Amino acid sequence: MDLCLTVNGQPISLAEVPGEASLLEVLRGRLGLLGTKEGCGVGECGACTVLLDGRALNSCLTAAWQAAGRQVTTIEGLAQGGHLHPLQRAFVETGAVQCGFCTPGMILAAWDLLQRNDHPSDQEIKQALAGNLCRCTGYHDILRAVRRAARWLREGAP
Amino acid sequence: MSLGRSMIRVGAEERVRGRTIFGYDLERPGDLHLAAVRADQAPARILAIDPGPALALPGVLRVFTAADIPGENRLGIIASTRDHEFLAQELVRQEGQAVAVVAARTLAQAQAGARAVVVRYQPLPGVFDPAQALREGAPLVHPERPGGNLLHERRILRGDAEAALRDSAVVVEATYTTSPLEHCALELEGGRAEYVDGRVVVAACTQNPHYDRQDLSRFLGVEPERVRVIQAETGGGFGGKLDLSLQPFLALAAWHLKRPVCMRYTREESFRATSKRHPLVMHFITGADEQGRLTGLQARILCDTGAFASYGLAVNMRAAVHASGPYLVPHLDVVSRAAYTNNPFTGAMRGFGVPQIALAHEGQMDALALALGRDPLDLRLQNALRNGQATGTGQVLRSGVGLARCLERLRPIYRRWQARAASGEDFREGVGLAAMFYGIGNTGVSNPSTAQLEWGADGRVTLFTGAAEIGQGSDTVLRQLAATRLGIPVEEIDLCRGDTDRTTNAGATSASRQTYISGNAVLAAADNLEMQLVQAARQMLGQHHLELELRGGRLAALDGRRLEPAQVARYLAGQGQRARGAGRFDPNFSGLDPDTGQGRPYAAYAFAAQCAWVRVDTDSGLVRVKEVAAAHDVGRAINPRGVMGQICGGVAMGLGMALMEQFRFGQTDNLHRYHIPTFLDAPRITPLIVEEAEETGPYGAKGVGEPALIPTAPAVAAAVGRAVGRPLRHLPISLERVMAALTHEEAEHAN
Repeated sequence: MDLCLTVNGQPISLAEVPGEASLLEVLRGRLGLLGTKEGCGVGECGACTVLLDGRALNSCLTAAWQAAGRQVTTIEGLAQGGHLHPLQRAFVETGAVQCGFCTPGMILAAWDLLQRNDHPSDQEIKQALAGNLCRCTGYHDILRAVRRAARWLREGAP
Repeated sequence: MSLGRSMIRVGAEERVRGRTIFGYDLERPGDLHLAAVRADQAPARILAIDPGPALALPGVLRVFTAADIPGENRLGIIASTRDHEFLAQELVRQEGQAVAVVAARTLAQAQAGARAVVVRYQPLPGVFDPAQALREGAPLVHPERPGGNLLHERRILRGDAEAALRDSAVVVEATYTTSPLEHCALELEGGRAEYVDGRVVVAACTQNPHYDRQDLSRFLGVEPERVRVIQAETGGGFGGKLDLSLQPFLALAAWHLKRPVCMRYTREESFRATSKRHPLVMHFITGADEQGRLTGLQARILCDTGAFASYGLAVNMRAAVHASGPYLVPHLDVVSRAAYTNNPFTGAMRGFGVPQIALAHEGQMDALALALGRDPLDLRLQNALRNGQATGTGQVLRSGVGLARCLERLRPIYRRWQARAASGEDFREGVGLAAMFYGIGNTGVSNPSTAQLEWGADGRVTLFTGAAEIGQGSDTVLRQLAATRLGIPVEEIDLCRGDTDRTTNAGATSASRQTYISGNAVLAAADNLEMQLVQAARQMLGQHHLELELRGGRLAALDGRRLEPAQVARYLAGQGQRARGAGRFDPNFSGLDPDTGQGRPYAAYAFAAQCAWVRVDTDSGLVRVKEVAAAHDVGRAINPRGVMGQICGGVAMGLGMALMEQFRFGQTDNLHRYHIPTFLDAPRITPLIVEEAEETGPYGAKGVGEPALIPTAPAVAAAVGRAVGRPLRHLPISLERVMAALTHEEAEHAN
């Protein structure tokens, strides 16, 4: 199968993509976008979260062909040039990153939330990120990071 | 100065950009892929392994079995109990043990090959309960081993516990049990190996690269110099990446095939193939006098170590040494035993037996408080160890005993929550408290660390360390310590970490030891570097008695002259030398007496107390942890943000242990069935840092990685017990156990 899609703003054409290939396999294996992580392969951990037309989903459960003709954003596509996205900056500054393996998926899931809701309550943040597991942080600093990024996005970053 | 200031973690920006390459990400185009054939039954004798059907498949190049191992097949971190056969030789001792490894051109081909290998087994009688394993006539897990199924026994004897308990005003007795747990680091095991100029180079996630190199060279039957291990960026460990996992398979395939190979575990394989937390059965009898002073403890502890020793001896030792908790207990009779079974092997997991034993010593404190009509916090404070008092092993602690301060920090929060805890038609709330102590570093054995610091001719300083960063923050803390001692900004220090060709042994990232032990090694390296710079500066200036010291990153002479260390480094470079200081630190310990367990197992101890506020839904038994406050005496917080991050992460892991986690082979071996806390389970956490300086610590620091987790499960158990009106002594506190407690069924079912 030939597959045409847009990844991080770049139009991409791929030949001979197996019909059963997941979006995760294509991103990592064919495009070398290793920032998208695999933690379980069955949609339980959220480490493989990417944005498909701006909505967060598990790329391990998404067939590659489902992305045909659509926009995929991975963690590599979030920073604008040298500038970190406010979510990325907030994760760095609050200590929301420990081992960092869940971080790309966590940030993209939070991006989806803040796109839909620029002033989420703590409970709304927790609900939106409940599909993204972290074993290091206890989620405490991730909550602080998302709150901070939401404020920056509303009021402008300092 | 960076010490005591919250620092942005080394590598955080690369991580949020998705640029960090973990062990799991190391595959390169053209690499061969490996997949393991794992036994689907145990115990069993291997009658035959037929690789034929696998070799007939497209892309499959080779099937390795134990016969292909050039060196020693029995590996393990503890030399006296090395028994982990990485490819089963004759006997399969646990389900999931690797029997063969398939190398193929693609991952799918390797996996297809692994499914196609035919192994014929003869089933053998097994033993799956540690108490049964120690009975006469039980099937032997390692038949060739003297000592049968008893891996290790440790006694701690002090005074006369029997008499003390007989004379006590109050005696409480109970049995506590815990379950096997999986670490569930988010990064699955992954790595890559190459054959380069007659050497095998293995890059993989790990918590202990220099140990890996030793055992891989033993496995290949070659000198250690022919193996290079590079710690890949490691996405969490929690003890699960202390044993070798897939590195022996990578090394073996690269050695034979002379081609680059890569391997990754699936989540299911990670559950099945790596160690688990030891389940413990703990029978405790504890006494107190009328005033509430602890009089004596008799404890009988049994650890299921599963099919291989791994860290079992260390877990058993720690369980015994910490059985009396962070309290002054004059009379002790503790016997802890670890038994082999055919269950999945258990080993290191954050806390090495102490999170389990804390459930028992804290459950006993609450039982005593109830019997004496005393407040749980006041009773703990009354019995808390103080500076100058002796632990259960007779070790007098000169400094750094911060438990009383932790309890005092918690007191107002604990009281406020007690006052606010409510009950209603369909819910009940409770507040519980627990404390702990934890010895930093390995138990009663030498466990040194080494480090080097080099001042380059370009003015930059490089720290060389073998200490594995696994997300806990040692890269950041060790740089802060070096920067502080050298008097330069932390940004001017580069890091070379975890490559056995370029660094020396720092020991394992385990036992909460890297800040204290490797931190001290880094300070020693800085002192040594200063001495070398001073000597070289004297030579350079031709003034052999000039008084010089390193101050603010410059060499300052008494006569007011200032010299840049880089100038001195250039001078040394001109003579073919380098400005490089080396440091080593080994904690001041003594081995435990073989009969009485008396001695000085650790040089330093961390202390902590936590309280938890829970809400129990009386219709469903569902427990929600609303809040946890965690006061931790870390000696000195080198990076306070890092300390708080460790505390919050530990609390969440402890909550999983308390309420939801239980590993059952073949039943809960994926994240769908084995539940770890999600964002919605996480309580509000208040981390509180207490700094009771440890005089031997780097700037007073101790450690926090494991202490963070230890009091949580007992605090949650106490809170649930308070809410439902009876003690909870078995983990996890499942819905069934809560409902049984609520409906006052006769006995809570043990594990």
